[in-house]
Order: sequence, then C-alpha cells, then structure tokens
Amino acid sequence: MCCPGCKAVATLIRDSGFERYYDSREAPEPGIVRPPDEAGEWQVFDRDDMLTAFSARQGDFAEASIYVGGMYCAACSWLIDSTLQAVSGVSSADINPVTHRLRVTWDSAAIGLGGILGVLANLGYKPQPLAPDSTERPEQDEQRSALKRLLVASLGMMQVMMFAVGLYSGEFQGIDADMERFLRLVSFLVTTPVVFYSARPFFAGALRGLRARRPGMDLPVSVAIGGAYIASIYATYTNGPAVWYDSVTMFVFFLTVARYLEMRARHRSIDRSTALSSLLPNTATRVDGEQRLSVPVSQLAAGDRVLVRAGESFPADGVVVEGTTSVDESMLTGESTPKRRLVDAAVMAGSVNVDGIVTVRVDKTGIDTTLGIIARLSERARYARPAFVQLADRVASHIVIAILLIAVAVASAWYVLDAERAFVITLSVLVVTCPCALALATPAAFAAAGSRLADLHLLVTNGNAIEILSRATHVVFDKTGTLTRGVPDVTKTTVLDNHFSADDCLRIAAALEVDSTHPIARAFAKYESGLRASELSLTVGAGVSGIIDGRHWRLGSHQHVTGTEDTGTDGTLSNVFLGDGVAITAIFDIDDTLRSDAANSLSALRNIGLSLSLVSGDSRAPVERVATALGIENSRCGCSPDDKLTVIRELQQAGETVVMVGDGINDAPVLAGADVSIAPSHAASLAQSSADVLMLGESLQPIVKLVSASSHTMRVVRQNLAWAIVYNLAAVPLAATGFVPPWLAAIGMSTSSLVVVLNALRLSRFQ
Amino acid sequence: MNILYLLIPLALLLLGGAVWVFFWAVGSGQFDDLDTPAVRIIMDDDKRPPDDATND
Repeated sequence: MCCPGCKAVATLIRDSGFERYYDSREAPEPGIVRPPDEAGEWQVFDRDDMLTAFSARQGDFAEASIYVGGMYCAACSWLIDSTLQAVSGVSSADINPVTHRLRVTWDSAAIGLGGILGVLANLGYKPQPLAPDSTERPEQDEQRSALKRLLVASLGMMQVMMFAVGLYSGEFQGIDADMERFLRLVSFLVTTPVVFYSARPFFAGALRGLRARRPGMDLPVSVAIGGAYIASIYATYTNGPAVWYDSVTMFVFFLTVARYLEMRARHRSIDRSTALSSLLPNTATRVDGEQRLSVPVSQLAAGDRVLVRAGESFPADGVVVEGTTSVDESMLTGESTPKRRLVDAAVMAGSVNVDGIVTVRVDKTGIDTTLGIIARLSERARYARPAFVQLADRVASHIVIAILLIAVAVASAWYVLDAERAFVITLSVLVVTCPCALALATPAAFAAAGSRLADLHLLVTNGNAIEILSRATHVVFDKTGTLTRGVPDVTKTTVLDNHFSADDCLRIAAALEVDSTHPIARAFAKYESGLRASELSLTVGAGVSGIIDGRHWRLGSHQHVTGTEDTGTDGTLSNVFLGDGVAITAIFDIDDTLRSDAANSLSALRNIGLSLSLVSGDSRAPVERVATALGIENSRCGCSPDDKLTVIRELQQAGETVVMVGDGINDAPVLAGADVSIAPSHAASLAQSSADVLMLGESLQPIVKLVSASSHTMRVVRQNLAWAIVYNLAAVPLAATGFVPPWLAAIGMSTSSLVVVLNALRLSRFQ
Repeated sequence: MNILYLLIPLALLLLGGAVWVFFWAVGSGQFDDLDTPAVRIIMDDDKRPPDDATND
C-alpha cells in the first residue's frame, strides 16, 4: 500500500469479494496518478441536464457511454463489470477492453450517472462520460461485419466444397445430367452470398484503387472472383463443361481470413479521439459573482472565471486573477520542479495546481489551449512521418500489374491457339498467381509476433513498427518518467542535530507532509509511521509546519525553515529542510531516481549496436547527471516539444532510423514524428496515442526484447515473401501452358498460404 | 440418389439457420470481446466478501 488512496481502493475491492483481480491482472501496478476524487466532483453529473447531455433515456432507464481510462487487460474489465453489476440500480454494464468503452444502463430513479462515475473513480480508473453515439460505432461495426463476412465465406466454402467433391467424382465415374445441373445450381445459390456479401470489400477496394489510379491487390482479386463467378453462371446456364464455384469460395475465404486478422491487430491500437480530453478534469468550478457552480469543462467559455483548488488540474488556458500557487507543468514541459504563479501569471490547461487556491480567468478552451496545440502538433507529425508503405503493398502494386498483363497475354495467346480452353487457363493463371501468400506473408507474421510480444508486456499498436524497429539505428530517450521513475525520492538525509536519527527526521517529515498534494510530499509518503502532527498549516510555495509531540516543526525551503536566505547548498539538487523555525535539524536531498534496470537495458541496447541519446525538457543539471550515470553521450536539455521534434528530424536527415521512448505530453509530437515510438503504460494518454508500442510495467527491459523480436519477425516475413514469390514464379508457367486446372490452382494457392501462416506461427514461440 | 434432391435443400435450410443464429449472436455483441470471457470462467462469482473488516 503506497497511500490512503490505494488503501481505499484495496478495501473496496476486498470488501466486495473481488480480490481475485490481483491474481489475474496482467499489468503491474501503474502507480498512483492522483488521489481518489472527492464525491463532489461526480455529483454534478447527477443533475438532470447532465443526464440529457450524456445519456439516452428509455423510460425509467438511462443508457450512457463512458470512456474508462487506465484499464489494460481482461482483469480490469472483469472487475469493472462485476462491481457495477453489484451496484443497485444498474441493469447492465458492457465493457469493451479493446476500445475501453463502457456501455451502462441503469434505473435513473435508483442511482444517478454521478454515482456510477464515482464507483469507477473509486476503483482507480478515470471515467469520462461521452456524448451519446460518439465514436464507438465505427470500430465495432467494422469488427462485427468483418466477422459476419468471414462466417458466410467459411460456411459457403465448406458447402460448395462438398458439392464440388460430388461434381469432380462425377467427372470420373459419370453422373446424371440432371444431378450435375442440380449440384451446379445449389453451388450457385451458396456462392452468390459469398461473392456479393463476403467479397464486397474487395470489389469496393478495387474500385477505389482504380479511381485513385493506384491499383492495389484488390483489383486482380476482384477480376478473378468476378470473372470466375460470371463464367460459372454462364456454364451453369448453358450446361458448359466446367464450373468454378469452389475456386471462388475458397479464394474469398482465405482472403477474408487474412483481412480479419489484420483488422484485429489494427483495432488493438489506442483510441485517439479521447486522448486530449482525458487530461482535462471532467468538471470545473465556475464563479459567477458570489455563486459557485460546478459545470462540465465543455461548457466553459473565454471570459469565465473558474476556481481551481490544490490538487486539481486547470481546465483551460487562462490568467490567475486571484490567489497564488505553484503549478506542476512537468507533463507539458518536462520540467520536474513546480513553478510559482502569482496574480496575472498565465496557466496552462492540463497542468496541476499544487498547493494554493486560485481563481483563473479563462482565455482559451479545448483545442485552442497549449495542450490542444500540442495534440494537433503530434497529429500533424504523425501524418508527416517519413513515408512508409507496408512492404507487401509496395510489392503488390507492381505484381498486380504484372499479373494482369500476364493474364491478358495468356488469354490472347490461347484464344488464337485453342479458343475453348482460353478462359479456363486464364482463370487458372489468375488464381494460381493470387497474391494471397504475399498478402498473408506480412500480416500473419505481424499478428503472431504481436501476440507473442503482448505476452512479454508489449502492446504493438502499429504493425509497421516491427518492420522499422528491425532496422533502427538510434534510440532517443526522454528523461523524466522514462529513464527515471518520475516520482521524487529521498536520496540522502543529512542530520545536523544529533538528538535525532535520520529515520526520526524522515518520520517527522512524513507526518508533516501527510495532507500535502505537493509532488515533493510523495517522496516522504513511504516513511509514514503513524506519527501524527497537529495544527498543520501550509505556506504556499514555501513549505509546511505543524506540531509533533509538543514541538514545533517546519519543513520546506531554507527561507521557510530558518527565516534566512539559503547560502550553503549548490542548487543542483532539490533540497528540503527540516527545522524548528530557527535552526536546521536535517537536510533531505530529493531526486528523481533512475529505474532499477535502466543501466542494464541501455547497455544491452548498445550491445545490439544502437546509438543512444537523451532529450529532455528539464534543466541542465539533472539531465547531465542522468546522462553521466547511464553513459549516454548525446544529451540535450531544456527542450520544448518543438525542439525535441527538431532533434529527431536532424537525426532522420542524417539517415538514422530513430526510435523514441517517452511518456510526457510534451513528448507526444516527438513520439509521433519519430520512425517508431514507445511509451510506458503510465504515460500521458496523449503520449500513448502517439506511440506505436506500449510497454506495460515498470521495466525498460522489454525494449531490448522488442528490438530483437522485430528483427526475428522480419526474417520470417522475408522467408514468407521469398516463398510466395518462388511459388508464383514456378506456378505461372505451368498454369499458362495449361497444365493446371482451376481446382488444382486453388489448392496450390491455399497450400502456399498455409505454408506462410505456419511459418509465421513459429514466431509465437519466440523467446 | 434421388434422396439428394431432398437432403441438399434441407442442408441449405440448416445452413441458413446457422447463419441467422450467428448473425444474431454477433449483433447482440457476443463476439465484441474475445479476451475477457476466457479469463472470467476461472473466476468464481459465488465467493462472498470476508466478514471481518480489518484493513491490511
């Protein structure tokens, strides 16, 4: 247990009988983001106008979509589901662990939306109500219709295959003319939905490709499917010599499987639409004259005055009009120490108000804020990423044109030689050369590697990442929260008064800081011992004071503790002083410590042959200390998001393939601009959404595994592509000279696809 | 072999039924989440919360 918040969550989970959550969750503890919300924050959502804004009513029941931030695996979705089911008034709760969206219906007489959000917040997740019918549908619809298409294609294929066996054996043993026609007719009946329903995306894709003048793989596929289908109908109608329904359905089935696998991998990516707004609070306290009203952040406008208490984050960009405070902007700028903000100073949306209560005049809201601009910057960088088209697509465009040319050549040659066989042979050529194996080669390998990497606590959200990682040359690290743990720690305690031991001093400090929301306070939290301080008071930007066992204590800056200016310390470390108002009892060195395996992981990366850099928004001293400790030669400090992006662009122009590892909002544009980006699971959601790979857990070790797994994967992809091309080169002459009937072509095509898939599956056992 | 004229349409009817049932299942969201049910089966839902209230 790291804090009272954790304890509350653990108690809630235990008391509800859900402690098995701890046995089966996959991601290790993410650490505490902020203390659990007071009930007040969610109460505003109980109001009637909120209910109409965020939910749809069905009689007494209301239904709402809620984005649940901070969930990673099936155990989370089970916990949320089970907890909500037990809440009285909730009639159903469906959570999708892939899109992180919860659809909940409840009896609005028994419980309000605020109550439900409160339950989720108490579990430690970050709920965020969504306007009805916001972006959930497209992905879900795509998933569902792909599944339906796959099923129709597979059932259709099985049935038509069965009839085909009858037809083929009929060719050898003789068959009733009536029975043959009947079997062809039912084959036609079953094939029709497969062609018009399951294969529709291929036709649509081919049409799109033609319009854009960039024929893709869909074009020859459509020509083969459409051609064989129409020719089969013609043969069925005129009692021609052969039908090809079996080839058509089998072809469609294999292609649909490939598409489905690819789509599943794509949907695993993190949802981008909610990334920006989840950094902002859900509600803000608006001040109208004397009245204070809790309103949703989306209803704020420029000119409004909002009250921001200690520990809350600012809902919009603005100017302080009343009060003073310190502001933690580390997520936005990378700077690790909080900044003082007096009246007339500007504050940024998404930064955290550390210790004072201030009233802020809102200047900019939503996407116009600095936060919104960073979000847009990262979106742009993502589009401007060095153009990389998927390997198979690049090859495919050429192959497609080659196949069509060959097919035309074969058709016209046979038309002259033997017009009757021209169609059958052309069809064989089209089927046998189907870029199926080629199409499967890459996605199958990526899917297998992706599921193996998920076991290793790495979520690959962009398939291309693996290809690029295999040829990466340079890794750029962010400092705060990536190489370091991102939470302050007491690294050294110097006791000046020998009546006290170092442990005593730490316990006293912990007791003084117990209620503080200041980031420094977290350094002392683990020394809490049950010692209680009374008359705790806080001086904004200076420190805290209180009485323990009748003795007066002050903790904070030199000025705060002794009343005199600080002279003795070197200023490179954050020093916190403990004293009684006159003399200093102890000095604590506070520092953001390195992750335990940072040194190991970095030297392993260096051994693979990658160069390393450190780019941080923090000031020189802490950056250089980390760089020296880890032996990183290139380090840059004080970088804005733009500067960081420039550093990456320079490396890229020098011909390097750059991997970026970072976690802050200020890293988001860089993550998007780098060739491949990796974000730890505790990263800001904006950083996560810009990243190609998410690391679950505290360790940096997975990066090393990721790099070696990618080169392994690309080896398999290359084997697959080589096999597919060799097979095609061997099969085309045979088919073109008329030695391969369409059914054999279909079997050959399937076998080659199967070889590719089996080869890819070897990756799922990668160590 | 005339029995085939009866059996094959019957098979097609069954096929149609299977497709209809599957479409219904997909439409009602049973295939939206393929990860959780695999875990859920090993978690018993009938376990009661412990009675004592001591915190750890």
